[in-house]
Amino acid sequence: MVYFAFMLLVGLVLGLVGVACNPAPYFAAFGLVVAAGMGCAVLAVSGAPFLALVLFLIYLGGMLVVFAYSSALAADPFPEGWTEVTVFEQLAFYLLGVVAAGLYFGKHWYTLFVGMVDSCSKFFTIRADMGGVVAMYGSGGFMLVFCAWVLLLTLFVVLELVRGLSRGPLRAV
Amino acid sequence: MSPLVLVVLLSSLGLGTAMTFASSHWLLAWMGLEINTLAILPLMAQQNHPRAMEATTKYFLIQATAAAMILFASTTNAWASGQWDITYPSHPVTATITMAALAMKIGLAPTHFWLPEVLQGVSLTTGLILSTWQKLAPFALILQVANYTPPYMLTALALCSTLVGGWGGLNQTQLRKILAYSSIAHLGWMILVAQMAPQLTLIALITYIVMTTAAFLTLNNMDATKTATLASSWTKSPTLTAMACLVLLSLGGLPPLTGFLPKWLILQEVTNQGFIPTATVMALSALLSLYFYLRLTYAMSLTLFPHTFNSVTPWRMTAKRPTLLLSTTIIMTTCLLPLTPSALTLLI
Repeated sequence: MVYFAFMLLVGLVLGLVGVACNPAPYFAAFGLVVAAGMGCAVLAVSGAPFLALVLFLIYLGGMLVVFAYSSALAADPFPEGWTEVTVFEQLAFYLLGVVAAGLYFGKHWYTLFVGMVDSCSKFFTIRADMGGVVAMYGSGGFMLVFCAWVLLLTLFVVLELVRGLSRGPLRAV
Repeated sequence: MSPLVLVVLLSSLGLGTAMTFASSHWLLAWMGLEINTLAILPLMAQQNHPRAMEATTKYFLIQATAAAMILFASTTNAWASGQWDITYPSHPVTATITMAALAMKIGLAPTHFWLPEVLQGVSLTTGLILSTWQKLAPFALILQVANYTPPYMLTALALCSTLVGGWGGLNQTQLRKILAYSSIAHLGWMILVAQMAPQLTLIALITYIVMTTAAFLTLNNMDATKTATLASSWTKSPTLTAMACLVLLSLGGLPPLTGFLPKWLILQEVTNQGFIPTATVMALSALLSLYFYLRLTYAMSLTLFPHTFNSVTPWRMTAKRPTLLLSTTIIMTTCLLPLTPSALTLLI
């Protein structure tokens, strides 16, 4: 299981490096997909499957699809992949940085790994992430109404920013 | 913008600040900051031109980054200590990250670059909201976490801000950028005493808000965004021009005016605590700021720039813009210094 978690963490870092080295948005979106998927898997392995599921559905299913769609709309005839010189330089830089950090921390690096949140082990019947959700709805209470208002306000602001035919934000630019 | 939309946005601005003021939980404070950021965006993008859009985008990116840093710091704090209280950041790392994020949010010196650009892109009234109301919520948080941040960090931020605010404004001809740099310099003064005497920070914040409101509204009344426009402002409204000089000198902190009040008290406090070099550098950096205020005053009252003067003195109609707030703030900007003892009694 630890080896599996280790593989997932490597995938997470690789995905993040893939985004951070500035390729064209097509490929960066792919890097984000890898990073988000691996992150969800790390969460699931660490003992928070509910959080992982929520993150996966909302982040990958909702946001990233829209992002991939809009980056596909921005038609780029020669998108820069990871093999272009400028991108590859950064890719190599970040990978070397990761290796250097691994060497610097030496054999103690794995103590930095967040332990498993396995609260099912003893007498607990609720997992940690489910418990967190319950606590949020229980003691959060009325404040969640404000939370809903923030979401509504976001929608409202977005609609206001892109309203109308002549008032689109990018049309001015 | 339709009035209904405006009402929703303005009341959300109020709600955001009120939420941050009232909360003791990091998550709600963060939510208040986010509401503040979101609600101001359509107001900034009201004028549909590239500058305004650019400013809106920059503002959104900076504020979102800073808010994400605050969320990161508070999550780390909750992870390490198991609690979300604002007033108890148990770990210095958390407090430092939070302070850095808040400094970014209000535009303190190492992370100040967005402020002049953003202010330059929006109208003077929106700029007024940005440099007064939008500072309140972050300052409520700063005053609560300042006790736990490393003191060197606050002093460094303060010195950096006053120096950069002074130097940055030196060769500007655009008034909104000058006001932005003046904002940076004043924020430096406030942050310097945030740990030694939070009440003085509050006094400085209040006086700054009054003074900068007067300055923004004066410029708005003159329709002036460039120094060159100021030179012919006397034709429109001589009284306002005379008072505008005093308002600018008050922002610069000259003694018989209100702007001297916070500088005086802050310098006294810093000297009493024994930080003589810091006090000296702060006092000297105020001179840098004073130079560009003086230059504006000079352009307004003493010279006409040597260009062809092809306008006549306009006929003075009844003012179309409401001037109640303008006159009130100008009076407060110029005459509040004798009330220093009352201010001290109220706030200390």
